Amino acid sequence: MNPAILAIVVIFTPLVAFATAMLFCMKAHRIAQGLILGGGAVSVVGAFLLLLGGPSETQSIVWLSSGSLELSFGFMFDGLSLSFGAVVALITFLVQVYSIGYMHHDPAKTRYFALLGLFGWAMLGFVYAVDLLQALIFWELVGLASFFLIGFWYEKPSASAAARKAFLLTRIGDTGLLIGILLIINISGMAHIPALLDAETGLTTMVSEGTLTLLVLLIFMGIMGKSAQFPLHTWLPDAMEGPTPVSALLHSATMVAAGVFLFARLHPLFMASETAILVVLCIAIFTALMSATIAMVETDLKKVLAYSSIGQLAFMLAALAAGGLLAGILHLILHAVFKALLFLCAGSYIHHFETNDMREIGRRGGRRMRWTTAGLVIGGASLAGLPPLAGFFSKEEVLASLSHGGYHLIWFLALFAAFLTAYYTFRMVFFIILPDRPLEADATVHDSSPVILGPIIFLTIATVLGGLILGPLAAILLLDVPHHSLLSMLPAILCALAGVFVAWWDFGRSRATRRGFVGAVPVLHRLFSRKWYVDDVYQAVFARFIQLMATVLHRVEVDLLDGGADRLADVTRWTGGWTARLQSGWVQAYIASGVVVVALAGYFLGSR
Amino acid sequence: MIATLVIAAFMILAMAGAIYAALVPHTLHCIIGLGLTLFGVAGIYLYLGSPFVAAMQILIYIGGISVAMVFALMLSVSLAKKMKHSEIKVILSSIAAILFLAVMARLIMTTEFPLREEPAGAAAWGVEQIGHGFLTTYSPLFIGLAICLSVAIIAAVLVARREADKS
Amino acid sequence: MSLSAFLLVSLVLFSAGLVAIMSRRNLVTILVGIELMLNAASINFMAFNYYTAVDPVVGQIIVLVIIGLAAAEVAIFLSILMVLYRARHDVDVEEIREIRG
Repeated sequence: MNPAILAIVVIFTPLVAFATAMLFCMKAHRIAQGLILGGGAVSVVGAFLLLLGGPSETQSIVWLSSGSLELSFGFMFDGLSLSFGAVVALITFLVQVYSIGYMHHDPAKTRYFALLGLFGWAMLGFVYAVDLLQALIFWELVGLASFFLIGFWYEKPSASAAARKAFLLTRIGDTGLLIGILLIINISGMAHIPALLDAETGLTTMVSEGTLTLLVLLIFMGIMGKSAQFPLHTWLPDAMEGPTPVSALLHSATMVAAGVFLFARLHPLFMASETAILVVLCIAIFTALMSATIAMVETDLKKVLAYSSIGQLAFMLAALAAGGLLAGILHLILHAVFKALLFLCAGSYIHHFETNDMREIGRRGGRRMRWTTAGLVIGGASLAGLPPLAGFFSKEEVLASLSHGGYHLIWFLALFAAFLTAYYTFRMVFFIILPDRPLEADATVHDSSPVILGPIIFLTIATVLGGLILGPLAAILLLDVPHHSLLSMLPAILCALAGVFVAWWDFGRSRATRRGFVGAVPVLHRLFSRKWYVDDVYQAVFARFIQLMATVLHRVEVDLLDGGADRLADVTRWTGGWTARLQSGWVQAYIASGVVVVALAGYFLGSR
Repeated sequence: MIATLVIAAFMILAMAGAIYAALVPHTLHCIIGLGLTLFGVAGIYLYLGSPFVAAMQILIYIGGISVAMVFALMLSVSLAKKMKHSEIKVILSSIAAILFLAVMARLIMTTEFPLREEPAGAAAWGVEQIGHGFLTTYSPLFIGLAICLSVAIIAAVLVARREADKS
Repeated sequence: MSLSAFLLVSLVLFSAGLVAIMSRRNLVTILVGIELMLNAASINFMAFNYYTAVDPVVGQIIVLVIIGLAAAEVAIFLSILMVLYRARHDVDVEEIREIRG
């Protein structure tokens, strides 16, 4: 089959399902659910057929041409799009299945499922996009779906506030992205991604390195917003206000990875600018360390996972910036799998215990949910980078690409971040499986329904076997599989094991203090638990600034605009009142004015 | 020559009476000024070859209208006394009127009127012609005028009387 | 005596009537002004009748009609004036301003 037709089916089936559900099925939850799931299934099948078909020619049509500028709409069928598209479609479908159980009692189910459909459309459209502008459109649509889904329980003030925050913070980044894209189109006169990336005639040959640095850094602003990198990361932990499946799908596995995906998509452009690489590396490694330290003291299960998402996205960006395209994409895909698994496990707990506090989940018998707990441990081990799980391979590749790129300081810091990741991941695991006091003997704890467990088990298996995709992925990306000696893997393995051990020492063993080693340094502990004061700084600086602006604008509004309108009305009323006095009722005045007018008319007409 | 002097006198009488009537504060004096003007106008009619109209002018205007005004004045006591007279109003309205007068005078002086070679003969001016005209060509006008007059008088009586009943 | 002289006289009468109408506060004097203006019109008719008209009867007839209408007008005007005077004990036009804006 023509891959373009297949791509249209893959991308637009969720849209059709979304539109049908929204328009006709607001009351018929089951039908809406079926529609969206059907759409998701079609997408999965289509995406995997595309993947099996292997890379093929880009296909696009020009929908707007203005002079030499041609804006096209079409699909790319390179390894990046195909592999990530398949993962997106798959995880979307799994999350939709999971949601049947998770959202079982929600009265607004149709809206929820429809929005998942909307997201599927936007995300797949973004992944296959061939044109920068097309990509931007779907990028924004993804953000829109994210906004709707974070604020899904909009009656909760915190949820709607989180949705607003996510929208505004990503907007800051997207402004840079938009400017960057417009500049690129302006400078190069094209928006067709393969043409831009062409080594002989592409953007890199047109502009100086300084200009290119500016352009890619503008685009990186958008990536920072979408992929929650410092300093635009604060929306992601708040986005955990949304339903947990949404967190699994959008805010860890796929949507936030869109930024990384865009980076991978425009990889040659970034590679052409040394400065941009350094900036990206610094931001990424700082974000990784910061998010890991915050996750070390966080007790909200979902927020720990959110911070780990931020950290892993930073890892991907670091790998890509260091030139490790395969490493970044591998981590992107495998992280999507095991992070979705972790979130779905978290959702399973939260659905059952109705709390986000992992200590309480542990105390109330979280480990008795055997399948879920198995998924959590395996997912956590993968996140920590323990062999032979998926996360081990990708993280190993990431670290190797850093060290190959010659960024040794960054490599060292990344190792430390990996250690912290293992530490806080197993802190979470030990909180849940080894609670500080014996479980009550109540038997009400039972595992979730099959529809929730199904995706978890599927993803658990995928996490275990994830490392196997390294070879095929490299093949489809037309890259070489790097070979690492056991010795070069040793630091990463040791770091992960050290992290796990320290976590066991602090939280797992029977005489553990359960305070963590940062608890010994109150200053750091306070810094971490206040999330490095980023939110407070934003609150203090931007919020106050905006408040000031608002006050000024309010004065402008009240005094200048409103007041101006009032004055205008006053003038009108006054003029009206004054001219009304001409209507004095003095007939004589009327006559006099008539006489004057006749006299003037006589003068002017008579003088002809 | 004498005719010219006489008509000039009548004209001056008419104009003086008019200006007097327009400016004098007292109402009764005002009516007297009107009477003088009407008399002057009657002389002008006479000069313009229409003794009948002049007679009507004196009969109806001076004999009827002016006297009616004086009666009205006498019926309402306070009307007779001098009313508040605002100088500024007089000045402003005089300016307006003079402006009007100046413009119109200029128009009159600059316009070429299609004059007849010589004034019509005396036969054409007779009362018979007027009566004939009223009863033939202009009879609708005559009838309309008659109806108008009777309606006006009846209405005037009714308006004045109904109010009188109430009080 | 030319046509213009009569027209000027009539103009003076008319202007005097205007002044009376515009400046006086007493309804009776305003009526006087109206009569002045009517007379000015009549003079015009008579003058044009004398100097330019083809049929000299027309002007006289019109003047007679004007005189008749003036009589009717005065009758109505005076009756209204009486009513007004009884109602308000005043015929000051500056006080009669019910139509003011």
